[in-house]
Amino acid sequence: MKLTLKTLPLAISVAILPIQAIADDQTNNKIAQLEQQVQSLQASQTASLTERITFNGFMTGAFITSDNNAGYAGATTSANFDDGSKFGLQGTFAISDQTKAVMQLMMKGENNWDVEAEWAYVSHTFENGLQARAGKLRLPLFMYSDYLDVGYAQIFVRPPEDVYGPVPFTSYTGADVSYDIEFDDSTLTFQAYGGKSDAFGVDLKNILGINATWTDETWTLRGLYGEGSLDGTMTRQSTTSAGIDPSTGLPIYLEVTVPLLVLDEEKGQFSAIGGSYDNGSFLAIAEWTRIDVEGVFRNTDSGYLTLGYRIETFTPYVTASFYETTDDDLRQIVDQTSAVYAAIFNGERKSYSAGLRWDAIDNLAVKFDVTYSTDFGDTSGGLKSNVAQEFDDTTVYTVQFDVVF
Amino acid sequence: MKKLISILALSVCSMMSAQAAVVVIGAPGAADISASDAKKLFLGKGSKSAVVYELDEGNATRSEFHSSVTGKSDSQLKAFWSKQVFTGKGNPPATVSNAAAMKSAVASNPNAIGYIDEADVDASIKVILKP
Repeated sequence: MKLTLKTLPLAISVAILPIQAIADDQTNNKIAQLEQQVQSLQASQTASLTERITFNGFMTGAFITSDNNAGYAGATTSANFDDGSKFGLQGTFAISDQTKAVMQLMMKGENNWDVEAEWAYVSHTFENGLQARAGKLRLPLFMYSDYLDVGYAQIFVRPPEDVYGPVPFTSYTGADVSYDIEFDDSTLTFQAYGGKSDAFGVDLKNILGINATWTDETWTLRGLYGEGSLDGTMTRQSTTSAGIDPSTGLPIYLEVTVPLLVLDEEKGQFSAIGGSYDNGSFLAIAEWTRIDVEGVFRNTDSGYLTLGYRIETFTPYVTASFYETTDDDLRQIVDQTSAVYAAIFNGERKSYSAGLRWDAIDNLAVKFDVTYSTDFGDTSGGLKSNVAQEFDDTTVYTVQFDVVF
Repeated sequence: MKKLISILALSVCSMMSAQAAVVVIGAPGAADISASDAKKLFLGKGSKSAVVYELDEGNATRSEFHSSVTGKSDSQLKAFWSKQVFTGKGNPPATVSNAAAMKSAVASNPNAIGYIDEADVDASIKVILKP
C-alpha cells in the first residue's frame, strides 16, 4: 500500500507527460493550421484586389524614312520618329466575375501625342456565354483591327498599308455582342455590332456589321460584312502658289484646306475575308477586302499575303499587297471638278515588303522593314501626297521596337 | 557484377527521370482531361470555372509544357497574351514560382489545373493528362 501511494504521483506524472506532449502537439498543429488559414485568406484577399484592377501597357518606337515624298505610310525623305510611334495604357476593372470596365488610352506621334481613348467600354458576360459590350470600341473591319496599335502582338512593322491605310475609321461608339461556340479542337466566334464613328470631319453613321471567326490556334478563318453611311464634307489640304518672295526670289506656297466633296448619307458596304496559318515555325496571313460607296467617293479592292518563318528569336517575313479603286469609270474627266475627283480618288499600286522581327529580349521585339510600292499606273498610287503624280514608286524603310508591359 | 548491373540500371533510371516529361495535374479527385481541353484552358478558353496556374516566365518546364500542349514558344505566348489583354478578351493565368507551390495551389482547389515535371509528382495531386 505504501509502495503504491509512493509510486502513484510518479505513475501519474509518467501518465500525464505524454498527454501534455500530445496536447502541445495538437495546439501547435492547430496554430500552424490557423496560421496557414490566415495566410491563405490574406493571400486571397490581396489576390482579389490585384485581380480586380489590372494595368497593362504597350509602346512602339519607329523610325520611318523614304526615298521620296510620295507619302506611303506617312513616310518622307527626312527620318521621323513621330509617324509610327505610339504609347498605350490600359486599365481593366473587374466589377464582378461577369462584368468589367476597360479603358485604353492611346498617345500617337501622328496625332501630336494627344491622349485619346481607343477603347472605353463596359462588358458583361451572360450566363449563356453571350458577351455584350457598350461604349467606345474598335471597329472590327480587319483581322488586326482589335489590336491595331499593339505592335508586339504582330509579326510585321505595321499591318499592310495597302489594306489598312485607306480606312480612316478605327473605332466607333456603340455596342456589340459576341458568342463563342466551342468545338472539340476549335472555337467559332460570332460578333455583331452597331454604332457610329467619325474621322477627318466625316461621320460614319448607322454602322451595322457581323463577322465570324473560326480558329484552332493553328488555322484562323474570318469573314465579315458591314455597312454604314458616310455623311459630311470631305476636305483636302491644298498647296497654292502665292507668287514670288521679292527678297529671296523663291516662290511662296500656302497650305489651304479646301472642300472636296459633300457626302450626303452615301451608303457604304464593306466585305472582307481573311485567314492565317501558324504552326509555330511557318506562318502565313492573308486578307482581302472590298469597299463600295455610293456616288463619287472611291470604291476599292485590296489584299495582302504575308509569309514568315521563325528561326529561334528571328522571324523573317515577306508581304505582297495591292490596292486599287474599282470605279474609276464613274469619274470621267469632263471639267475641272471631275479632274480633281479623278486625281484624288483614282488609285492603284502594288507593294512588296521584306522584313525581320527579332524577339531581342523578354517583352521587346525589334523590327526592320523595307517596303517598295510601285505600279501606280496613271494614278497617284492612292497616296494623298502624290496627287500631282510626281512619283512612280516609293521605297519606305522602317526600324521599330515594340514593347509590352 | 551484380553491383555493376544495379549501378547501370540506377543510372539509366536517373537519366530517364531527368528527361521526364511535363504532366498536367489536378486536385486528387479531378477527372482526366483531353489534350485539346488542356490547350484551350491554358489559352484562356473553354470552361470558365477552371482555375489555371502557370509557372513563372522563363521556367524551363513552362517552355517545355507549352511547346507540347499549346504549340507556342515563349515569345509567341507573350504575343498571344498581349493580344488577348489589349483586346479585352482575357488575362494570362496566375503564376507560381516552382513545382512545390504548383502542387499546393492545385491540391487545395478541385477546379485548379497546373503542370509540373513528372519527377515532382506525389500523392497530393493527380496526374490528369500526360501530353
